[in-house]
Amino acid sequence: MNSDTREILATKDVAWERRIMAARRRATLIDRAMTGVMSLAALFLVIVLSGVIFIILRAGLPAISWTFLTTASSITDPGGGIGPQIWVTMYILVLSLAIVTPIGVGAAIYLSEYARPGPITNAIRFSTEALASVPSVVFGVFGAIVFLTIMNLGFSVLSGSLTLALLNLPLMVRIAEDAIRAVPTAYREASLALGGSRWETIRKAVLPSALPGIITALVLTGGRIIGETAPLILTTGTTISPNAQYSLNPLQTGETLAVHIWVLKIVGVPGLQDAQLVADGSAAVLLLIVLIINVGMAYFTNRLTQRLRGASGAPRAGGSKKG
Amino acid sequence: MDASTPSATTMTVKDTSLFYGGFRAVKDINLHFRPHAVTAIIGSSGCGKSTMLRSLNRINDRVNGFRVEGTISLGDQDVYAPTTDVVDLRRRVGMVFQRPNPFPMSIFDNVAFGLTLYAPPKRADLEMMVETALRASALWGEVKDKLRRPATELSGGQQQRLCIARAIATRPDVLLMDEPCSALDPISTLKVEELIAELKRSYTVVIVTHNMQQAARASDVTVMMNMDEADRAGHVIEVGATDDIFTNPQHPQTEAYVSGRFG
Repeated sequence: MNSDTREILATKDVAWERRIMAARRRATLIDRAMTGVMSLAALFLVIVLSGVIFIILRAGLPAISWTFLTTASSITDPGGGIGPQIWVTMYILVLSLAIVTPIGVGAAIYLSEYARPGPITNAIRFSTEALASVPSVVFGVFGAIVFLTIMNLGFSVLSGSLTLALLNLPLMVRIAEDAIRAVPTAYREASLALGGSRWETIRKAVLPSALPGIITALVLTGGRIIGETAPLILTTGTTISPNAQYSLNPLQTGETLAVHIWVLKIVGVPGLQDAQLVADGSAAVLLLIVLIINVGMAYFTNRLTQRLRGASGAPRAGGSKKG
Repeated sequence: MDASTPSATTMTVKDTSLFYGGFRAVKDINLHFRPHAVTAIIGSSGCGKSTMLRSLNRINDRVNGFRVEGTISLGDQDVYAPTTDVVDLRRRVGMVFQRPNPFPMSIFDNVAFGLTLYAPPKRADLEMMVETALRASALWGEVKDKLRRPATELSGGQQQRLCIARAIATRPDVLLMDEPCSALDPISTLKVEELIAELKRSYTVVIVTHNMQQAARASDVTVMMNMDEADRAGHVIEVGATDDIFTNPQHPQTEAYVSGRFG
């Protein structure tokens, strides 16, 4: 460093400082204003969320009773329940997730861990992303052609579950792949350097860290399954046979809660006086199911992460020890 | 008033303890960081060296539960006073981190980052300021033909000197360095050390290091810290001219540490 440079750096340019300080005052104001803007956005979010919960529950809670949750629906007389609809909703949720999870996570593992980076992998990734934004009703039409017409499965819980599995596959792959790719390379290298095979490395070093992200994928997918209507109307139907309520037979027709709401609110059931109340009650139940699933999953993820990473709140070296 | 005033400023730490929640990480610190001198803080891992350093520019404010008791001052300004403008404080107390952390931008834009934050100077002025900073960090010769290239293309040692250039471009009063060479090879380390020796002519330099030779080579004053076995809090064992600390340590812990028997 020559002495000129040293001289420059060792001194404050007073004019420059003055200019900065003037600009700093403005920057401080902008800083405060932006804090306000972000807080307002967050506040708006909280208001919307609590508003949705409040309005849906206020409309629907009066309808909810043990009888409402357990008896069959009626399209002729008031006082019908939604028991079979809850059953079908949970059945399709479980069946659809059971189909989409292994395929989705498997494909995500392949794309992130096995596939050689290059144009083909990129093309697959791009198509997956594109597929994720195809409207669900298009998948409904596709499902109707393939599962109802070609495979002859009829309007059934199985047709609906398969259709929803396909619908959710791209989303599942995208989120799961992101979660897996976010795992630090160092973990993979540590496992491989200890002589771990590729699969052992994935199973023991990569997936545990990616698990919270994969569970997020499951929860989002589950939410979409529970809330979907159009593809189910086209593949599962809108009725539940009175002699197949609470049936495990995947070839029965079915009607999920979301579809039930659609039928009551949009299609209309002439002569059923309490159709609106039943619909509102169904919406509240739907909301509660989603909330319960989310809270449950959050708790489960937490526990799982703690178990995989070792006990939570590990004491600092030499810190307080558990008795 | 002259067109320019000297910038290097004293930092003083008085009766200071630092807390993470209920845990007292560092206790009873009294230190004085002289202008135009390099002060090295040494001591074994976990003794609170970095916590001490990171409290000087309040970058540790970002850590949840972090709390300061005592007084830290920059010149006559109380660093933790409620009226202190933290942003302006950090502008005056620059920092270089353990791992080189250039932004994913061009070399030029990295150095210009701090200069263009509030009142972007004229292009010609900016170019001159960037050049001055790069010359001062002994990087100009290596990068002057590729200022538009991504900073991430530089070697680790070059990246760290770039980060130093970035830190001094805004002409801070104090320069904090948190183990700046721990991720560098010996040759890059030597270059950075030479640079530190140069920089002290312009600044107050405080450096945390694990490397004993580095403290011996590059610093004027050495602070030896260690953890108190009784309450696990880091504290200062000994402060002195670097030569004295390494040739004639007064405290047995310092003696053991600088001779490599523990730590």
